[in-house]
Amino acid sequence: MTAGQTDTARPAVARRPFAGRRLLRRATPYLFALPLLLFIAVFTYIPIASSLNLSLREWNFLRPDKPFVGLENYRTLLSQREVWNALRVTVIFAVISVPLRLGLALMIASYLVRETLPSRLLRGALFLPSVTSTVSIAVIFSWVFATDGGLMNAALTSLGGPKVPWMQDPMLALCVLIAVNTWKQLGYDVIIYIAGLQAVPPELYDAAAVDGGRRWHVFRRVTVPLVMPTTYFLLVIAVIEAFQVFTIVDVMTRGGPAGATDMLVNMLYRVGFTLFDIGQGSALAVLLFLLLIGLALVKSRILGRRVHYEA
Amino acid sequence: MASMGRNLLSASAIALCAASAAAADVQVEFWHSFGGGGGKALDTIIADFEAANPGIDIVTEHVGNYNDIVAKLQAAIPANRAPDAVILEVTRYGLFADSGVLLDLTPYLDADPLKADLFDFAREVGVYEGKNYIVPFNNSTPVMYYNREIMERAGFAEEPAPKTYDDLLAVSKTVTEKLGGEGIYGIAAPGQFARWGLIMSNDSDLIDSVSGEILIDAPNTIDAYKWMSSLVHEHKVASPDGVTDEDLGKDAFTAGKVAINLGSTGSYGGYVKALGDKLEVRPMPCNKVCRVPIGGAGIGILASAEKEVQEAAYKFVSFAASAESNAKWFAATGYMPINRKTAEQPVAAEALATQPGIRVAIDQLPVAKGRPRPPVVTWMRSTGYDMWQAMALGQRPVEETLTDFAARTREEAKRSQ
Repeated sequence: MTAGQTDTARPAVARRPFAGRRLLRRATPYLFALPLLLFIAVFTYIPIASSLNLSLREWNFLRPDKPFVGLENYRTLLSQREVWNALRVTVIFAVISVPLRLGLALMIASYLVRETLPSRLLRGALFLPSVTSTVSIAVIFSWVFATDGGLMNAALTSLGGPKVPWMQDPMLALCVLIAVNTWKQLGYDVIIYIAGLQAVPPELYDAAAVDGGRRWHVFRRVTVPLVMPTTYFLLVIAVIEAFQVFTIVDVMTRGGPAGATDMLVNMLYRVGFTLFDIGQGSALAVLLFLLLIGLALVKSRILGRRVHYEA
Repeated sequence: MASMGRNLLSASAIALCAASAAAADVQVEFWHSFGGGGGKALDTIIADFEAANPGIDIVTEHVGNYNDIVAKLQAAIPANRAPDAVILEVTRYGLFADSGVLLDLTPYLDADPLKADLFDFAREVGVYEGKNYIVPFNNSTPVMYYNREIMERAGFAEEPAPKTYDDLLAVSKTVTEKLGGEGIYGIAAPGQFARWGLIMSNDSDLIDSVSGEILIDAPNTIDAYKWMSSLVHEHKVASPDGVTDEDLGKDAFTAGKVAINLGSTGSYGGYVKALGDKLEVRPMPCNKVCRVPIGGAGIGILASAEKEVQEAAYKFVSFAASAESNAKWFAATGYMPINRKTAEQPVAAEALATQPGIRVAIDQLPVAKGRPRPPVVTWMRSTGYDMWQAMALGQRPVEETLTDFAARTREEAKRSQ
């Protein structure tokens, strides 16, 4: 090999790794994100696309073919009173349970924000239902609220009160579900609110105290606006959870009595996996998806402006 | 030399693998719905079968109740994860037969001496559109269970023998009036199977099993539902808990909080265990006629299974319906004998001699009637819970509810055709 040959070969050899490294550098973030993107694609985007496709077809798991029926499944669903009933019940559930959850959580968090031993113990106790199996909770509360032999009615009758048909009265059954769901989710909301409250600069409270602000006014004028980002985050989560509530309802009431607690997701499950109408089940899933997207947009329009991330 | 030894060793290993593969057992994956005493009895039958058929392994999976099986089977089929054999409830296998999922067992059963041994009712429950799709395994009729101790405490010096709706209501009222203060009810709100029995005893049906005519809004069906609903919301002799959750009605009976419970004869084993000598079993009431529905399930074989597995599965199905196996099953659970020779088996003879309650369902056989099994039945039974709750809890008038339900069932029947 001559020196000249070596000279001419050198730049070529040097360029190749340079170009490769540049490409690699550009691709590195994407490569890191790739496993997660693949995971999301396989378990989220492909199922969404698949649901959309199935919602336009007639299929019951057993048929080898899936004929295209256009918007027929949507038309059939929207003409069924059960769907409107499920939507009404879900909206009532959300409208009552979301403010209840957030209001209670903020009040409790305001008291538990102090770093004392009882406060820490109470935080742990409140968080426990959040990490307890929903099915176990639902089974236990089914017994608590049983009309005959239930703990709640045993307590009421021992005090001379009447037996209350908790799970048979349409309104009471819904109230019981809201109460159980609130009890289960409260701990999570409280912990998030405590984190939000701890980020509020203490000088603001000192200034309010110097100005002679009463406790309620300080809470309303200082605490509430400054934890708005937390409230907004919890609101988004709570609304989605309220519209997707399933396990508690399925175990405790199965949508009963007579459809009084039938939520959209319970209906979706029933249509898809009890009545085996996958087309209509998928159409209902798409409608629920659109409803949640719509609600998220409305929330961001209305509340987004009131959320300030700087104190 | 060493290399030759290695080659020999490899060849021997390959030969051994091939030989063991050739002699490998045929595995039959079997989904069923039996836990507790029923599950143990089934395990015994399977152990007997495997001992008699060394080349076949039955791999069982307790999938849940009948509804769970229907749901999971539907989901498993497109995922190619369906079992080879499955327990299917007698009114809900038509859906799978219609779709070609189940193997037509007619040629198997025609060539099997078992066919001649099966009772007529047992042969009939497996036939859909002229072909045999399931072989009966656990068949039942509803019966009337009552707690003797509660009856005595309520002042019945002699055994009450309620034959009609009025008789049953009168007994239930007496018990509730006398013992209601202790939280004891006269009767459990009838479950879906018992409701069907009470409708039949009022000389009606939900769907005619021969013509397929929908009879949900027939006058006698409406009257039957009016009476059943009145037990809960009008006369308050049945706890509303059993309306929103049928299992709570059974639980209250086994806990000694209910005097009368109308339910499947398949619950007999469990009730004996819970109530012992206090348990009495009597035939279902005959309000206008004496007639009871046949319930329970049979075993179907999946068309998707390999031929060799299908044949092994049929051997098991036939074995499970044999007199020997059926006698063990009958004695352990209380489900009806399906084989004419079952009663001759010592274990069945002993059960009949020592457990008088177990005979009631057999005595009802002359008035037992098969039920329809087209795909719409699955829809009707799933949707029927809401209708029953609305009527029994007094939230909607019976006639209006059933007229509406009948119209929707007719629409669904047309749609599913």
